[in-house]
This record gives sequence, C-alpha cells and structure tokens, in this order.
Amino acid sequence: MRREPAGDVGRAKEMDETLAEFFRRTILKIPMTEMMTVLKTWNFLSENQLQTVNFRQRKESIVQDLVLLCEENRASLNDAALLDIIYTQFHRHQKIWDVFQMSKGPGDDIDLFDMEQFKSSFKKILQRALKNVTVSFRDAEENSVWIRIAWGTQYKKPNQYKPAYVVYYSQTPYAFTSSSQLKSNLPLLGQALTVASKHHQIVKMDLRSRYLDSLKAIVFKQYNQSFETHNSTTSLQERSLGLDINRDSRIIHENKVEKERVQKVTQEIFGDYPQPRLEFAQYKLETKFKSDLNGGILAEREEPLRCLVKFSSPHLLEALKSLAPAGIADAPLSPLLTCIPNKRKNYFKIRDK
Amino acid sequence: MELANTLKQDGESRGGVLAHLERLETQVSKFHKKLEEPQDAQALEARIHELERLRDNLRAEVKQRQARVKASTANVEPDQTLEISEQEILERKQENVKAILQAYRFTGISGKLTSRGVCVCISTAFEGNLLDSYFVDLVMEKPLWIHHHSVPVFIPLEEISAKYLQTNTQRFLFVLCEYLNAYSGRKYQADRLQSDFAAFLVGPLQRNSLCNLLSFTYKVKLEGQSFPFCARLLYKDLTTTLPTDVTVTSQGMEALPSTWEEQRADHENLFFTKPLHQVFTSFARKGEKLDISPLS
Repeated sequence: MRREPAGDVGRAKEMDETLAEFFRRTILKIPMTEMMTVLKTWNFLSENQLQTVNFRQRKESIVQDLVLLCEENRASLNDAALLDIIYTQFHRHQKIWDVFQMSKGPGDDIDLFDMEQFKSSFKKILQRALKNVTVSFRDAEENSVWIRIAWGTQYKKPNQYKPAYVVYYSQTPYAFTSSSQLKSNLPLLGQALTVASKHHQIVKMDLRSRYLDSLKAIVFKQYNQSFETHNSTTSLQERSLGLDINRDSRIIHENKVEKERVQKVTQEIFGDYPQPRLEFAQYKLETKFKSDLNGGILAEREEPLRCLVKFSSPHLLEALKSLAPAGIADAPLSPLLTCIPNKRKNYFKIRDK
Repeated sequence: MELANTLKQDGESRGGVLAHLERLETQVSKFHKKLEEPQDAQALEARIHELERLRDNLRAEVKQRQARVKASTANVEPDQTLEISEQEILERKQENVKAILQAYRFTGISGKLTSRGVCVCISTAFEGNLLDSYFVDLVMEKPLWIHHHSVPVFIPLEEISAKYLQTNTQRFLFVLCEYLNAYSGRKYQADRLQSDFAAFLVGPLQRNSLCNLLSFTYKVKLEGQSFPFCARLLYKDLTTTLPTDVTVTSQGMEALPSTWEEQRADHENLFFTKPLHQVFTSFARKGEKLDISPLS
C-alpha cells in the first residue's frame, strides 16, 4: 500500500530530488537481513518511526517508506553520506584497499593530535582546491576516523555514487584508502591527509587487499600476538603436530622424520597464529635469463626478460602455509613468499642486482 | 600306633561304610606284613628321630614365614610414605618457583627465555592499579632484533629501539617501560573520567590514541549555580602522566564574575598537579559539602 497523501507530496518537494534518489539507492543497497541493524546504527530515524514501516512489503516499497521518513526528518546530504559510510563499514570487503605511509620531518614536535582540528583542516584543504566536494566523517574504534569523499570539479557537482573512503588511525603514519576510480584526485587526497595529520610526506605502500582488518594487522604488526610467558599453560610440544600419527598404531609413517621437520620449519616461519588475509601476491620480474646450459637462444639475450607472476587465493597466506605440509612444496618456502607480512608488501619488483 | 596314624593321615572319608571297611582291611593286611618284618629297634628309633627333626624343621619354617609376613606388612607403610614425601617436596618446590616466576610480573619488567632469545613482558601500573601488559620478543643475535611485539603502533618503538636497542639494551627496556607506563596512566585517567564522572561532563570527552590531548566541557556547582568550563589538557612529555599545558576557559566569552574567575584559575592549577580523576573526585566531594539544593 503506497502512502501518497497530498501533504506528503508537498513535504517531499522540500527535499532535493537528487538527494531523495541518493537516499533511495543507498537504502536499496542494504540487504534486508541487515536493514534494522544498519538503520539502528545510523540512529537517524527514531524507534517510533521505524515501527510505522511495514517490513513485510516488497523491498522497493519499504525503501519508499523509509525515504519518506527521511524527508520528514529533513535529512541532509551529510546524513545520507553517513548512512553510506555505515553501509561501507558493514561491507568493507566490497572495496579494494590501498595503504599509504606518511613520514614526518626530522626533529618534529610530539604529535598532539586533535581530531576536530584534523577534520576541519582536511575538509578545508579539499574544499579550497575543488569547489565541489562532499567530505563526511564518522568516528570509529581505537581513535580512528572513516572519511567519505565525493569528488566534483570546479563546474560539476560531486558524484555521490563514486566516493573514495579513507580510514585513518590517529597518531599513526598510516592511512587506508579505497581504490577510487577517479585516480586524478589521489595527489590532492594525499596532500590533505599529510597536512591535516601534520606529516611531511606520503608514499603509497606496495600492499593491497580487500580485507581492511588484515591490512591493519599487517601494517601495525599485530598479526602475531602469541607470546611465551610463565603464565601460559600450553607447552609447544604438547600441541599436536596435526599429523595424527598415532591414529592407528598399525600404520607407520615411513617419512615421519621428514614430516616432523617440515612441520617444525613451517611453524617457525608462519607461527601458530591465524594468518592475515590477502587474496594475491604479485611479482614483476625483470631479470636476465640464467641457465646452467651453455649457449641456447635466451642465454645470449642482453635485455632482461619481463614477466609477471601472480599468486591468487581466497586466503593466500594460509594456502602458502599449507603447501609444505601437504607435500606440494619443499620446506622452507622461498623467502619471496614468506616475507609478505613481515615486509608489508604483496607487490614485488625483482631485478638483477 | 601306626594304625591310628594311618587313619589320621587319610584325612577325609572317601565313599561310605563299605569303603571304610575296605580300608580297614587293607590296613590290617599291611600291618600284618610289617609285623612279619624283623623289628629293628634301632631303625625305628632312627626313624623316629628323623621324623622329629622333620617336624621341628617344618615348625621352624612356619614360624619364620609368619614372622616375615608380619615384618613385611609392617614395613610397607613406612617405605611408601617416605617416597611420597620426597615427591611432594619436589612438586611443592617446583610450584613455588613457577609462582615466583609468574609473580615477577609485579615488578614491572619480567621475561621468559625462548628458544631464540627472550620474551620480555612490561606490565604497566598506575596508582597501585595493575594495567595492561605489553610484550617484546627479542632475538639474541648480533645485531639484536625484535621478532614481534604487542606495543601499540602509536608508541615510538622504532625510535626508541634505534637509539638504544643495540648499544644499551637495559636502557631500551627502561625507556620503553617509561613510555608504556605513562601511556597506560594517561589512558586510565581518561577512562576513569568517562566512566565514573560522566555526570560532570557536557558532551563527549575528546581524546586521541596516545591520550596526550584531552578536551572536554564540564560543569561544577558553586553556591547553587552550575557553570560550564572548557578544559584542554596537553601532555607534551610522553613519559609523564600529568599534563604540561592546561587551559580552562568559560564556555561563553563573557568576563567571569570574580568568584568564578577564582574557580577557573583554581581548576587550572588542580589539573596541573593532580591526576584527572582525582580532580573530579574532589569536585564531587566539594559538591557534596557545599550544595544542598538539588542538581540544576
């Protein structure tokens, strides 16, 4: 049942059509299973208002009703942007995140980070450069902030449907940005971040993934949180090697010694903790051909060979960890593969030295 | 005599009366046969002596065995209790040492040897409250390096290790300890303010990761009136838990009446000298003493 009394139509006209459309499309994106959670997190529509909506209708009708409620509350562009941020926070895996590292000059003062100053400074820098830009902020856990930027130009209004996101943890030199399609604005974004956070330089790291939390764990070096203390009760030897050698005493593993060696080496390199989640590692090789055989067509080639090797997996590091125990690769694995979390990169350029 | 003996030696009665009669018959015939043999008195005497000796030996053996059994049952308990107490002593010693090693945490810096070096544990505390612990896993190689750690990313660990780790490891640990304890202490104060004194705050407490910039608006009552003050605390020295800069201003820009100006200056001084939550505790106490009228 659609609600279209004359009064509502009058009120609807107060909200910009494009804004209403933005609300409609943003709310439509939200899966029904998450709808209540997202709306409650947004906390813009009251409990009473939400109760007036019949959530058993077709989704389009529900969205229509919700948009009308937004109009009643005189929702602004900022409210819509906030809802968009919340949706993205719930669906952060839908974006691919890059990592930037900032640095300070030598002898810089102690970082007395003021969140309000940061936000105001960041916004001003972007607004001064581009007359048309929408900047919205949402504070998050651990003194971090999610920033949403809708880019426009001198003459065009901001495109609300292709925003960039930045997640910044205060008093750290790192920022995580969703790869924006509008790459031309990247230098400006970098500048705004650097100046607002009182750094001098910004550099893009060779690290990229959909899994923002894993990127944070890698960059902040928080992925290995197991430490030996006198208070811990589990001893490393007691933990099973995962081989179940004793499952049946009639079965003897002929290569038990080798299996144990592989297990030990794997445990030393990968540890006992869950690996941070990455989907790929990419190696750009620019090397001259090396061969044991003398002669051959490629041996005399002066120019280096260029090739790209890409490893993909739903969970790359766990897959690498299981290679040697599964017998597919020798242990220890190549350091080029095992250095990924430690070096905080999954993009490599390998050249002859 | 022999007849009586043979009867006794038979032991149990087998069969019925007829069987018994048969036995008596055979015994009589045996007896007659023996009577026909030449009666050798000496041989008989010797035989008697033999039998007596055998009986004595058997009796002695029985006595010995009985004695041994008694002795062994008596000895079993003392032997076992000896063993238990030795093991118990060792176990208690081991538990004691383990407990001491665990208690080392309370000294602030403790550690455990690992296969590649040592895992240092820095346990922070503030005003007698045990707070978070942080770990640094060191690899004992030349050069010394950190394998992994749980120090928050905003603590300048790289700077501190660049300065001291190689040249003076002890200094490295102490400096890191200072930074972490100060951070823990500042965090504790900010957390206490937010949780225990939320009633005094107007709006949220603004803070950052290092808890070295705190900005908040609070209301204090004086003479039945409550007045909002804006406080901004800066902790420029990351190794301290008291602020280096304090500004308390009135929310509006109007000139304050003199009593309130006094209060403002007084509060500024308090924030400089006392931990944050203690300042608010004293506000709460003052409010209890002076204020009779209900909360405005």
